[in-house]
Amino acid sequence: MGRILFGVVVALLFTFILAPTVVIALSSFGTSEILEFPPQNFTLRWYFFALAKPEFLSAAWNSLWLAVVSTAIATPLAIVAALAITRSTIRGREVFQTILLAPLVVPSVVIGLAILLATSRIGFGGGSTRLIVAHVLIVLPYLLRTVSASLMRLDPLAEEAARTLGANNIKTFLLVTLPGLAPGLIAGMVFAFVISFDNVSISLFLANARMNTLPLSLMSYVEYNLDPSVAAVSTLLIVMALVVAIALERFAGLRKTLGA
Amino acid sequence: MPFLSNRLAAVLLVPAMALLGVCLAIPLYYLLNFSTLTGDFAVQDLQGPTLSNFSDLLTDSFFLGVAGKTFLISLGVTAAALVFGFPLAALMWRAPAVWRSPIAIVVLSPLLVSMVASSYGWIVILGQNGVINNALIALGIIQSPIKLLYTDLAIGIGLVHVVLPFMVLSLVAALDRIDMAVSEAAASLGANRARIWWHVLLPLCVPGIGAGVTLCFSLSISAYVTPAVLGPSGPNFITTLIYQNFVSLYEWGAGAAMAFLLLVVAASAVFGLGALTNLLAPSRRRA
Repeated sequence: MGRILFGVVVALLFTFILAPTVVIALSSFGTSEILEFPPQNFTLRWYFFALAKPEFLSAAWNSLWLAVVSTAIATPLAIVAALAITRSTIRGREVFQTILLAPLVVPSVVIGLAILLATSRIGFGGGSTRLIVAHVLIVLPYLLRTVSASLMRLDPLAEEAARTLGANNIKTFLLVTLPGLAPGLIAGMVFAFVISFDNVSISLFLANARMNTLPLSLMSYVEYNLDPSVAAVSTLLIVMALVVAIALERFAGLRKTLGA
Repeated sequence: MPFLSNRLAAVLLVPAMALLGVCLAIPLYYLLNFSTLTGDFAVQDLQGPTLSNFSDLLTDSFFLGVAGKTFLISLGVTAAALVFGFPLAALMWRAPAVWRSPIAIVVLSPLLVSMVASSYGWIVILGQNGVINNALIALGIIQSPIKLLYTDLAIGIGLVHVVLPFMVLSLVAALDRIDMAVSEAAASLGANRARIWWHVLLPLCVPGIGAGVTLCFSLSISAYVTPAVLGPSGPNFITTLIYQNFVSLYEWGAGAAMAFLLLVVAASAVFGLGALTNLLAPSRRRA
């Protein structure tokens, strides 16, 4: 009895979790001019339509570039900070860690706005530098968390052995720590990429016509149109997320990567 | 374990701390600074410092209405996520090894799916000709479509979907720390499943509940995409109101003051709930 009830509850919750993605993916194949479910007939025309739209293409390219650059900049920062926190006895390690995780506590709308105000006051123009810097700031805590967790799971004896055998800090890090860190690090980088790629609340205040991102351009497109081309782009994003989820689960463990 | 000298560790912390100082601390200073200015922001004719933005906001019934609504929706969303999160966490905790990966992928995937994409899914489900209305009409429960989309309820549904994985992650983390011998002991002393959950596992989950509630509540009050896409038109949430003040109204002083208040509420939620959790947790000693 209890088992059946539990099964029903879980089935309902799975439906709730999967419903929006399944519905949007299926309705992207409909022939109708407006989004509808279940879709009538089958066509790929909205995919061609969306992929031929210069606004989506340039925005997708911007988002991709932004996510790659901000992850690439934040990764070394996170690695060295995590090393300092997990591999030294410096005073106030917990305090540093808390400070470095602070961007998670500050609502991202507030971060975006604050950076907008500061740059407008200082007179540091629009440009994409500001957007990149803001994205580095928001992905840094995620990277720091996964890298610190991986470092804490690594057996410090291996590093000690390398040091005893005469390796210096850099050699120990490159030959012993980094290889052990790799799975967690790569998982953290992938997650950071996704966080930056999907971000809306920060880019909202910092992007402009020249440097628009994909989620923003989708949101502004839907204000005036509700044709299935947004569903087509959304479906591509869902497929990307699914590939990422499966890869993270296989190689690093999804829970370990996403969890606190 | 520690092999880095303190001096080297300090050097290694510099880049990240510098980024935080330049890109977070200084901007937050300017946010506070702008929140004390009044005047015409379009032509930079400004007066201040003054606290009038804050006092105006705290007596402005429209602002208080939106802020109160944001608070209540977030509270409801957090409660719903807690109720929905427990069965999913229990499932992830006890599932046979083969099922763990698929379950984790399904339950945690909303974290990786673009919020914009899943919001559009909710538009198709909740709309006038949407899945739910069509189903209810086909079943003869209602005659004409009911308004679900562009309501506060739609914001709530969309937000529960967004924050649920965070709740599940926090709860599973807590369940994983529980020594199975504890619940076995309760079972051998004659407790049934319900009693074990209520009297043994639930109290031990308090740290996870606290972490999940904190995370879900602060994510909810600072959400932008879900209210912007699914909510009633006009400023329907604190974040959309802040955005409107900046982009359409050019009320930078009032907008900065609202953002500052949002920051204060979010930060006090994190620290307050953290302290409350510590107080309620049955024991902080490790098993």
